[in-house]
Amino acid sequence: MERGPIVLVWFLVISAGAVALMIGVAISTRKPPLAQADVTKMWYAIRRYWLIALIIAIVVSFLLSLPWFPYPVAAQYTELQHYAVVAQQFSFQLPSTVPLNKELMFDVTSKDVNHGFGIYDPNDSLVAQVQAMPGYTNHLPVRFVLAGRYTIRCLEYCGIAHHAMQAAFEVR
Amino acid sequence: MLKDAEMIAARRLMWAYVVTGLAVLGLMVLAGVVLRATQANWIALDPGRFYALMTLHGAGMIVAMATSGMGILWYLLRHQTVLSERIAWTSYALIVAAVVAVLVSVVAGRFGAAWTILYPLPFVGATWPGWATGAFLVGYALFTVGWLLWCVQMLGGVLRLYGGFRGALGVDYVFRPHVFAVQKGRPPTPISLAALVAGVDGVLTGVAGMLIGTALLAHLLDANVRLDPLWAKNITYFFGHALANLTIYLAVAAVYVGLPYYTGREYKSSPPLVVAWWGTLLFVAIAYFHHLYMDFVQVRVLQYIGEAASYLAALPVAVVTVFGALTLIYRSKMRWTMGSLFIFAGLIGWIVGGIGAVLDATVPFNLDLHNTLWVPAHFHTYLLEGVLLFVIGWAFMMLEKASQSVTPVIVLWLTGLGVFGGGAVFLMGFYVAGALGVPRRYAVEPPPGPEIASWATIGALLLVCGLLVALFDAVRLARAPRAP
Repeated sequence: MERGPIVLVWFLVISAGAVALMIGVAISTRKPPLAQADVTKMWYAIRRYWLIALIIAIVVSFLLSLPWFPYPVAAQYTELQHYAVVAQQFSFQLPSTVPLNKELMFDVTSKDVNHGFGIYDPNDSLVAQVQAMPGYTNHLPVRFVLAGRYTIRCLEYCGIAHHAMQAAFEVR
Repeated sequence: MLKDAEMIAARRLMWAYVVTGLAVLGLMVLAGVVLRATQANWIALDPGRFYALMTLHGAGMIVAMATSGMGILWYLLRHQTVLSERIAWTSYALIVAAVVAVLVSVVAGRFGAAWTILYPLPFVGATWPGWATGAFLVGYALFTVGWLLWCVQMLGGVLRLYGGFRGALGVDYVFRPHVFAVQKGRPPTPISLAALVAGVDGVLTGVAGMLIGTALLAHLLDANVRLDPLWAKNITYFFGHALANLTIYLAVAAVYVGLPYYTGREYKSSPPLVVAWWGTLLFVAIAYFHHLYMDFVQVRVLQYIGEAASYLAALPVAVVTVFGALTLIYRSKMRWTMGSLFIFAGLIGWIVGGIGAVLDATVPFNLDLHNTLWVPAHFHTYLLEGVLLFVIGWAFMMLEKASQSVTPVIVLWLTGLGVFGGGAVFLMGFYVAGALGVPRRYAVEPPPGPEIASWATIGALLLVCGLLVALFDAVRLARAPRAP
C-alpha cells in the first residue's frame, strides 16, 4: 500500500476520534448541568495528562520522521549516477530510460518559472517529487523497484497549460 | 462601557466588515463550485478562464476571511479600549478598493498566476496583459496597506491598554503571579491576546507582503530588476501562510465571546491561556517553512524547524483554546441555536483541518502529499468549515441577541445537513484525491480526479443549499422587530 492512502486512513481514524469526543461533549448538554467550577476542576486534571501525551506524541513523531527526511541523502549527490531534468513551460527535458533497482539522482532545475517534478509509477501512484526552480538545482535521490513506464507531472502551478505539462520515461 | 452613540458606530463598522466579507465569501464559494464542476467535466471552461477564476477564488477567499475577522476583533477590542473609527473605515475602504483592483485584473484582464503569484510566474509566459499583472499587484498593495493600518491600530490599542508589551503579553501574570495579585494587575483577556497576536504577526506579515509586492512591481516596471526565486518563495509563503493562519485567530474571537453567551459560563484568563497565545505568536511566524519542503536547496535546518513548528502550533489549539471551549460546553446549559451550532461546528472544522495539516507537515508524508489535492483538503476544512462558520456563528449570535428570536429546529437541521453533511462530502473529495496523488490546481485532472470531483461537486452544491437556508434565516432575523 502506498503512503498516501495510509495517511488517509490515519487521518480518518484520528479525526473520527476527535469528532466523536466533541459530539459527546455536545450531547452532554442534555444531561443535568454541572457548576462550572466542578467541570473546570475535572477537565483541568485531565488536561495535564493530555498535554504530556501530546508532547510525547510530538517528540516521538518528530524523531521517527527524521530517518525519512530526504535532505541528507540528497546532499550526498556525488556518489550516484546523475540524470539531468530541465523543466520549462510546458515540458520536461529528461532521459528516456533509467535503471531499475539502482539508487540514482535526478538533478532538477527550471529554465523559466517554478515547476514541480512529480514521478508517478506504472500504477499511477506518486512515488517521488521535488521542485524545479529557476537558478537552482534540486537533487532528488530515487530507487525504482517497479519496471515500466513512469509518468511525470508538473506539481507546481506554472501557467495556463500547467495541467498538460507531462512527460514519461521507462524504467528497466 | 461604551456610550450608545459609540456602540452604534462600532456596530455599524463591524457589520460593514462582516457583511462585506461574507458577501465576497459567498461569491467565492460559487466560484469554487464552478472550479470543482469543471474538474468533474460538468462544465467546459477553457483553461485561461479556469485559472483566472482559481486566482480570484484564492485571493477573494483569503481577503474575505480576513476582512470578516478584522471586523469582529475590532468590535470586541473597541469594548475594551478606544480605537479610531476613522482609521478602521480607512482600512475598510482600502480593502474594498483592493477587491475592485483584483476583480478588474482577473475579470477584465484574465490574470491567472494564482493568488500566490510565485515569482517569476506573473511575468513569464503570461497569457494576460501586463496591466492585469499591475492591477493585481496594486490590489495586493492596497489590501496590504489596509491590513497594516488595521494591525497597527489593534497593536496600539492593546499596548495602550496594558502599558506596553510586558503587560499585554502577561509576563508578570505568568512569572510573578503573587506580585501581580498584590499589585492588582489586569491579566490579558482572550480578546486582547488575539488582538496582540494579530497585531504583531499581522505587522510582520504586512511588511513581508509589502516587500514582495514592491519587488514584483519593480520587476514589472523594469525587467532588469531580478529577484532570487528562493528568496521570493520564502517571502511569498511567509506572507501567504501567516495571513491565512491569522484569519483563524481573528475569527476565534467569536468563540471566546459566543460560547460564554450560549453556555452562561465565563471564559476566564489563565496563565496556560496566556502561554498558549505566546506559542501561537511564535508558531504563526515560523511554521511556513513546511511550504518549502520540496525545495531541497532550502537551508536544511529550516526544514527541521518547519516540521517542529508545525507540530508545536497544534499544542495551544488542542490543549488550551479548543480544550477550554469544550470545558465551557460540557454539562452546561448550552442553548443550541444557529449561532451556537455554527460556532461549535467551526471548532470541529478547525480541529479536523488541523489534523490534516499536521499530517501534511510531516516531511515523509509531504513527499506524497505536497501540491496534491490534500493541500486544499486541509485548508478548506479549517477555513470553509472553521473560520467561515465562526463568522456566520458570530453574525447569528448578534442577530439572535438583537431580535431575541431563534431559528426553528427544522431550519437548523436543514442548514446542518447542507453545510456540514454536504461540506463533509465536498472535503472528502479533496482528501481522497490527494491521498491518491491527484495534483492540485489542474484545470483538467488525471483519473480518478474527475470521478471524485463529481462527488465533491454534489457535496459543494449541498453546502451551498445549506448556506442559502442560513442566509434566508439571517434575513428573517435581521427583519424581526428589535428587542427592547
